[in-house]
Amino acid sequence: MRTAVYNSTISKANLNTVNSASRVAFRFRIVLCFFLLMLLVPGAARAEDWSVPEQQLARKIVAATGPGAVALTVENRSSLSKRESEIVSNGLHSALESLGLRFVAPEQAAAIVAISLSENPNAYVWVAEIRQGNGKTVVEMVSTPRAESVASGRDSVPLSIRKIPLWAQDERILDVAVLEENTAPTHIAVLGSEDVSLYRLQGGKWQREQALAVTHARPWPRDLRGRLIPGKNHLLDAYLPGVICHSTNAMPLTLNCQESDDPWPLVAGLVGSGPPANFPSFGASPTPAVAPVGAFFASARNFFTGALTPGVGRFATVPKFYSAAFLPRGNYVLWLFAALDGQIHLVDGVSDQPARLNWGSDLVSLRTACGAGWQVLATSTGAPGSDSIRAYEFPDRDAVPVSAAVDLAGTMTALWAETKGDSAIVVTRNGASGTYEAFRVAVACNQ
Amino acid sequence: MKHFAWQWLVISSLVVGVAAAVAETRPQYGGTLRVAMHAAPVSLDPTASGQIDLLAGRNLTSLMFETLVTADAGGRLHPGLATTWATTDNQHWQFRLRHGVKFHDGAALTAEGVAASLRVANLAWKVTSEADLVVIELDRSDPRLPAELALPHNAIVKREPDGRLSGTGPFHVADWQPGKRLALAAEENYWKGRPYLDAVEIELGRNPHDQLMALELSKADLVEVPPEQSHRVAMEGRPVVTSEPMELIALVFARDPQTPAEKSLREALALSVDRGSIRSVLLQGTGQPAGSILPEWMTGYAFVFSAEADLVAARHERETVKVAPMFTVGYDAGDSISHLLAERIALNARDAGLALQPTTAATADLQVRRIALVSSDPWIALVEVAAATGLARPTSEGASVEELYTAEQSLLATQRLIPLFHLPAAFAASAAVRDWKPGADGSWDLADVWLGPGNGKP
Repeated sequence: MRTAVYNSTISKANLNTVNSASRVAFRFRIVLCFFLLMLLVPGAARAEDWSVPEQQLARKIVAATGPGAVALTVENRSSLSKRESEIVSNGLHSALESLGLRFVAPEQAAAIVAISLSENPNAYVWVAEIRQGNGKTVVEMVSTPRAESVASGRDSVPLSIRKIPLWAQDERILDVAVLEENTAPTHIAVLGSEDVSLYRLQGGKWQREQALAVTHARPWPRDLRGRLIPGKNHLLDAYLPGVICHSTNAMPLTLNCQESDDPWPLVAGLVGSGPPANFPSFGASPTPAVAPVGAFFASARNFFTGALTPGVGRFATVPKFYSAAFLPRGNYVLWLFAALDGQIHLVDGVSDQPARLNWGSDLVSLRTACGAGWQVLATSTGAPGSDSIRAYEFPDRDAVPVSAAVDLAGTMTALWAETKGDSAIVVTRNGASGTYEAFRVAVACNQ
Repeated sequence: MKHFAWQWLVISSLVVGVAAAVAETRPQYGGTLRVAMHAAPVSLDPTASGQIDLLAGRNLTSLMFETLVTADAGGRLHPGLATTWATTDNQHWQFRLRHGVKFHDGAALTAEGVAASLRVANLAWKVTSEADLVVIELDRSDPRLPAELALPHNAIVKREPDGRLSGTGPFHVADWQPGKRLALAAEENYWKGRPYLDAVEIELGRNPHDQLMALELSKADLVEVPPEQSHRVAMEGRPVVTSEPMELIALVFARDPQTPAEKSLREALALSVDRGSIRSVLLQGTGQPAGSILPEWMTGYAFVFSAEADLVAARHERETVKVAPMFTVGYDAGDSISHLLAERIALNARDAGLALQPTTAATADLQVRRIALVSSDPWIALVEVAAATGLARPTSEGASVEELYTAEQSLLATQRLIPLFHLPAAFAASAAVRDWKPGADGSWDLADVWLGPGNGKP
């Protein structure tokens, strides 16, 4: 008995790992190619093959008029561009001519054909209104699915912040960890809401090696957040609200998740007892000593409770915050906490100075070889539907922008510093396609 | 359809304009959203149809109850309480339930519970359960059953013997005063994540003027705006979010035309209505003149059905009948727009030689009706309009635009209704309301709304 299946979930379940990995890798390549294309050809347009609906509509029209002389108009009522509608119009003229129609002025025509290129949310709808000698109007139409809209790239801003695409997928991305790299990442882990997927670059293609399930008893909170930290003696740890997962050492890897309110590391690279061995570049530029600090994350919310371990100087707690960054100074570390009330709290261990900087709620600190050596990346609202990110320094307690704002071409959903400390992972959600896109961002020092 | 894109650009701009005033921040939990609305339901049961307008009913229902399948603004279907569904013949269907979902009273969502709920909503269906499967057997083939299950009256409800209702939605009922006030509290263990808001308080039965005053005086955060006032309210500086047209205003006749003469008179009436000037004057430029049942954005072909007045043709049709009786045209006395429309249409008809007498009597020959298009799936919307106007249910095995056009053409050919306008739903929100993004179909998702500064949130 044949069973028709109507929604995507079943078919997705039937995908095997290789297919799924290929699909994701394919998307990655598309994103990468698109990214490069947008850099090279800003006005690149998408070409469609309209020949099938053109032929279909032409056949219907000729079935009504028969071969002969007609007056033809084509009006674009849809979101098709002028150029695209001209292509369709030319195609329709050709298709109709090949079926025996001749185009003449209305007064000489046996029939007047008015074609409207229209659309609905799911399809282009092409409608032909055919008026013949008997005064009767016949309506014929065809429809063809609308292609998913392609996200527009907005990378024309001079890059003082480098933004390198890492991964893209339909499902939410909470964090991405680069596990191995040469000149470019070759092994990455992608933290989603239900699993950690490991991908390896093989022969120029990303292959999914394994998906490690993230088990959790309670529903996740809205605006789910999570963080991946590569481990020293094991591959990685995953921190999610109320749940912490540790991978095993031996192959095949497993992920052991437990309900836990243990603190999340705020200084990821230094929480362990040393830098991870799989970062060749790490040893060349050691991170200055910053005492590891952990913060407790509210298990049913999207923020840190404000409790720190150990504290920052005399502050064991700070106001509830979304994210934190730090700036090492001569003999102390200046911490910045993005509080729930929109203020940035500057905490040096002795004082807590709130400031309204009109930043977003996500910030990280990056170590660089230029300027003061440390910058804070902070988010703010950019173009409509798109956030931006910008680098700042704090010569004293005032934020000084040191880079242009870089449009993220989407709404930012995550920003975490990488273990090396000189780059960060930013995740955006593309408003047009709904796709989640992960980038590595770093401050370019040659400006 | 260019209008479609343009309109949404405007809407998006308005929404972004609100958001752009502050730096982007993560959603904040807490606070109470205060809503005012015109509808005044006396029951929260999704099957209690007809008591309030369908759009308001849908939005209220979605706060507390959920459906097996959900439909987005483009009519595309997505898993809801069911994760998958399948059929062999479009007559026998199986829906596999999502695991781990609980009703607000703590009881687990079971296939038997879902079956019981659907049996109440659909007496003609044979609904049974097998393990985590809900099995629906129809009396005829219907490829659109999943879309139908996305309608609010098919929301899953656990009905207690004492009349209490329990749902699985993002909010549960904290206080219910029928027709007056509904207080909702966030469901901590909601399967899609607790809402950001702690509570929603909805004042019911508030007229449009009172709603706008409440917004102005910071006594409400979210109010409805009558479509004909949306331009004015926006001009006064309040951000207004407008949906795609989701309401049909039409003249609906009480019965089929009985004679060729009656057909000619109805044709004359349809040709006499000057929708353009009515839109400019009475509707203040809002909405779209309609010659079709379904709006252009939903189908892509509505322009084929002319909405232009043709007084010459109207008079010609009228003159084919020797003696024309006076028609009574009814309107809802509580709806000023319906009243004004009835008066104006009577004037248009007189220019064509027809006599129409506006009345509030329910027994009028024809009525000015406002019919909500409750689904953005055009087939479901068409079926619902047919049901609301007493027309035969259109049926089709296929789903093509051409078949939809043919079905709509057939309904219009009955001459039981004369489409007049397609109207959007419009809302205004206070500056404290964030991530307020009603769907193109006017649907709410208050689970994603949160409150920024300015609401008095602790």
